[in-house]
Amino acid sequence: MASIAVKELCKTYKGAAEATLKGLTFTFPEGKIGGLLGPNGAGKTTTISILCGLVRADSGEVMIHGLPQDAGHREDIKKIIGIVPQQIALYPQLSAVENLTYFGNLYGLKGKALFNRIMHYLEVFGLEKAAYKEIHKYSGGMKRRANIIAAILHEPDLLILDEPTAGVDVQSRSMILQFLRRYNEQGASILYTSHLLEEAQSLCDEVVIMDEGKMILQGKPEQMINELPECRNLEDVFLHYTGHALRD
Amino acid sequence: MLRLLATIRKEWQLLLRDKTGLTLLFVMPVVLITVMALIQDAPFKDYQDVKFDILTVDNDHGRLGKYIREGLASGGQFNIIDTLEGQAVTEKQARELVNSGRYKISIIVPTGSTAAIVSNANRIVNEITQRMGMSVSLPVKKEADSLNVVIYFDPAAKKAFKGAIHQALDNFLTQVETDMLLDRIRQQLRNKDVQAQPADTLPIRLQAVGLKEHATGNSKQLDVVSNSVQHNVPAWSIFAMFFIVIPIAGNMIREREDGSLLRMKLIPGSYLLILAGKMLFFVGICLLQFYLMMLVGIYAMPLLDLPKLVMGHDQAAALLVASAIGLAATAYGILIGTLFKTPNQALNFGAISIVILSAVGGIWIPLEVMPANMQVIGRLSPLSWGLDAINDIYLRNGDIGLVWKNVLRLVLTGGVMLAVAGFVEKRRMN
Repeated sequence: MASIAVKELCKTYKGAAEATLKGLTFTFPEGKIGGLLGPNGAGKTTTISILCGLVRADSGEVMIHGLPQDAGHREDIKKIIGIVPQQIALYPQLSAVENLTYFGNLYGLKGKALFNRIMHYLEVFGLEKAAYKEIHKYSGGMKRRANIIAAILHEPDLLILDEPTAGVDVQSRSMILQFLRRYNEQGASILYTSHLLEEAQSLCDEVVIMDEGKMILQGKPEQMINELPECRNLEDVFLHYTGHALRD
Repeated sequence: MLRLLATIRKEWQLLLRDKTGLTLLFVMPVVLITVMALIQDAPFKDYQDVKFDILTVDNDHGRLGKYIREGLASGGQFNIIDTLEGQAVTEKQARELVNSGRYKISIIVPTGSTAAIVSNANRIVNEITQRMGMSVSLPVKKEADSLNVVIYFDPAAKKAFKGAIHQALDNFLTQVETDMLLDRIRQQLRNKDVQAQPADTLPIRLQAVGLKEHATGNSKQLDVVSNSVQHNVPAWSIFAMFFIVIPIAGNMIREREDGSLLRMKLIPGSYLLILAGKMLFFVGICLLQFYLMMLVGIYAMPLLDLPKLVMGHDQAAALLVASAIGLAATAYGILIGTLFKTPNQALNFGAISIVILSAVGGIWIPLEVMPANMQVIGRLSPLSWGLDAINDIYLRNGDIGLVWKNVLRLVLTGGVMLAVAGFVEKRRMN
């Protein structure tokens, strides 16, 4: 079964001169790490917002683990997905434990079980010593790691990450990628967006390159590179299909 | 339930760490009500407790001058001053001292004014007795005098103050003239009845209908006198409760900016429950603010030589009103937090709009003293509904029957603001 299936997705925001999504279609298999890649303005964030149910598409179909993303299934889908937004979606004035307890409670988790799970993940992400430190006192990398924990407390089957390693140091990036691989090995599907194509090449089983609201290419990174003799890596493939023109 | 309680706990944790917010919610209102009560204490006392010095120049040395001096002194509101440095005050001195503002008022009783009153009374008695066929001729002046008791007011004196003094003096003059007339009639009747003993007095009671103040409320206790504390403590507490708009709007915009709102919406379950938790928490904070201010009114104000706050009889109704005010204030904060995109926009608009709503709503000065058009506008302000309802309970000893309309207005307004915020948020998603 497909983890994510998107068919002919269209979206035009009110007042916008041009459509953001123009019939986007792609599929990611379950249990794999998928990459959604594209230049700025390609429509990645809108696609993720539609996948999560935050934004409604004008037309097209979205299926998450076999469930249609519509009003009747939105709550069921929320239960099986975890989202790591690009922003640090945590309260800066609260400590990691306080933030994670609050979001855990919203997921229906509570008591000792929740506390143990929080402490476990803080340890996994190397934040156990800063557990009671306020988030605004964290470094950029620590914030990114705490941001991921908030999305996996309920241990979702599908984890969607929007540029999870933006602005972090090499050590933090390495540990985040290691964790994603381990989490995937436990059976979870992962959809990931990034501008760091080297990272995507090493992490993703399959990538979708999109531009101007449409899917340009989908496949395994090695396969894409091999199909174009002049390309040595995923970045070359990306530039081959999306061009060198600067984007706003 | 877990979502609700978790949200209340989270808001509590956030507020505890927000030192500026805590100061704004609890310290600023205490300072505000104290300063305002102290500043406005004197104006409120103008016609209640303050004693005024009145310079009197009695050129008459008769019954009228004595009556005016005794009458004014008996009210307890005036100190009669007729000598300065051991010398009788002159008219010129009095005029200059009042004009310079050292005294608010001076009364000059002209020479011969008692004689003029006596002559007028005699003339009336002569007329009456002649028409009754009696031959009585009391001495009268050939021409009726035209004398005036002169009043000098400090040019800065208020119109209401002048009116009150005019009325009081007019009453004294009427009283003296009536007394003189009755005295003459009594004398003539005694002369006609030769059997009567000289000491015999004829009881003539003029006041068949008197004046007595009664309570307007259900309680037999007289209504509480409106004073600086009775006005300022509830009024500025309501103002402070509405200032909760600032932390709520700031909190909501920060949640939107840092993505916590996004995360909350991505979590299964109703966002309305999270919003309800937020509202419950802030309504609770409003109530805490309100009762903290009332405690200041009861226990701290008397320490500053101000009157003690009186809270009326129906505390359940007061709690209901305070909750309704808290609900409207919280809903307004949520609306502002939803409509505006940056904390600066929200904070500026929120603060200025509350100042305007409070100014037109009778928080600064009572609605009754505003022009008619402003009163109509003022009665549309939720702050005026809140203050009206609190005054109904505190000043008029009212109960739920007297305040339910204002409570309903506050709750409905809160509901409408929440509905608009919900609509805007839903539109934003698309």
